[in-house]
Amino acid sequence: MAGLLSRERIIAGSGFNRWLVPPAALAIHLSIGQVYAFSVFKIPLSRAIGITQSTAGDWKFTQLQWIFTLAIVWLGLSAAIAGRWLERAGPRKGGVVAACCWGGGFVISALGVRLHQLWLIYVGYGFIGGWGLGLGYISPVSTLIKWFPDRRGMATGMAIMGFGGGALIAAPLSDALMKHFATATSVGVSETFLTMGIIYFVAMMCGAFGYRLPPTDWKPAGWSPPAQQRVLVTTKHVHVDRAWRTPQFWLIWIVLCMNVSAGIGILEQASPMIQEIFKGAVTASAAAGFVGLLSLFNIGGRIFWASLSDLIRRKPTYFIFFTLGAVLYASIPFAGKIGSVPLFVACCLVILTMYGGGFATIPAYIADIFGTQFVGAIHGRILTAWSAAGVLGPFLVNYIREYQIDHGVPKADAYNLTMYVMVGLLVVGFFANLAIRPVAEEHYMTDAQLATERRLIHEPNAGKT
Amino acid sequence: MTQTQPTQDEEQPRPGRWGLVAVTWTLVGIPLLWGVYNTLRKALALFE
Repeated sequence: MAGLLSRERIIAGSGFNRWLVPPAALAIHLSIGQVYAFSVFKIPLSRAIGITQSTAGDWKFTQLQWIFTLAIVWLGLSAAIAGRWLERAGPRKGGVVAACCWGGGFVISALGVRLHQLWLIYVGYGFIGGWGLGLGYISPVSTLIKWFPDRRGMATGMAIMGFGGGALIAAPLSDALMKHFATATSVGVSETFLTMGIIYFVAMMCGAFGYRLPPTDWKPAGWSPPAQQRVLVTTKHVHVDRAWRTPQFWLIWIVLCMNVSAGIGILEQASPMIQEIFKGAVTASAAAGFVGLLSLFNIGGRIFWASLSDLIRRKPTYFIFFTLGAVLYASIPFAGKIGSVPLFVACCLVILTMYGGGFATIPAYIADIFGTQFVGAIHGRILTAWSAAGVLGPFLVNYIREYQIDHGVPKADAYNLTMYVMVGLLVVGFFANLAIRPVAEEHYMTDAQLATERRLIHEPNAGKT
Repeated sequence: MTQTQPTQDEEQPRPGRWGLVAVTWTLVGIPLLWGVYNTLRKALALFE
């Protein structure tokens, strides 16, 4: 089995079509993207004993919230911890471990629901599943960048689009499964978890076994690197253990953190925000539709902006996010003031495309700055910015809103200050992006170091640099 | 007489592989489109 999963076994043979790799990555990302739809289980889980309504002994929302939080925290931590291992072990082994963790996490959680032991769900979905999320998320990044040196942004954008798309599939699927399994004595969550665990395990294993690595220094037919080297696109490589000691690492970390914090602020409060700003004009079901549209634009933005970044390069792409984003955030209070729902919706939708685009473009930005040898591992460490943003964004939105309301500001206007704070975050991101320069020569690996590293991961032609 | 072998970067995918590409993209595309369709259906409420 170990041989079957090794890097050497998945070096692509002659005539392999590189367009077979993105669907393999999508199979994994569409599966782990379920995490964004976890909220559909909250109400049924809060009635696991009472069935029709919560009763004594049933779990509270505050307890259930920790399942999602743990999973997201472990996504970031596991990507940072295991990124380097994955780089050496190869994407297939990483994908298989991710499938076991993600599928296994669901099975353990199913047992937790059946036995009504919340700690089992924390361990299953939150911790073990969280490792599946992190490993699954970064498993295709390095591989796709090596297969698509001519279109790095588009390639990783396709995979990361799947992570957003996973929720679109999981929400209606979970709903249908719970309805199917529900009985007079069960809300159907245990059976749904078990079924989804099996489905995701199979899908992710198919994805993991679909991964192939290109031979060292492979190039697409008819393509050669630009004769004139671009300023912010290196052909050298920085070691993962060295990368985080460079200012570029932390500047990119801030770029991602600020972009995600601002977007998450909108996502988290979208439904109550539109209803409170346009009180009486937007119903609860219309607000749910608005949230659905935000998800679609979040996904669309991942492939659109990441592909565009191949043409206009990464730094200008983030400049657009930070400047256009700031203008749009500042326009939201104006849209509320003049009572224009279409303007408000349009601003939020474009903002969400840039939120998704920020996630999808970052792997290509990392590859441009640090080279491709450790891109997966460095990306894993930079994803801790996501964990930080997951705390910072919602905290700012909720805290400022509460503060405003406590000080007598009407609910409809309570988001205005929040939007200006988001503009501030984007300004910080703008300057961080502005400060990004090529990595100092001393940080790059020498040819001998690169050859040694490639030998360690058993890359063929390791001696040739 | 020496035979010239194609180098790695000159190799082209075999025509049959494009069929496999279509199959794999369909397999991941169908559930994704189903999800998009469901979301769009719900989103229509915003315009009613």
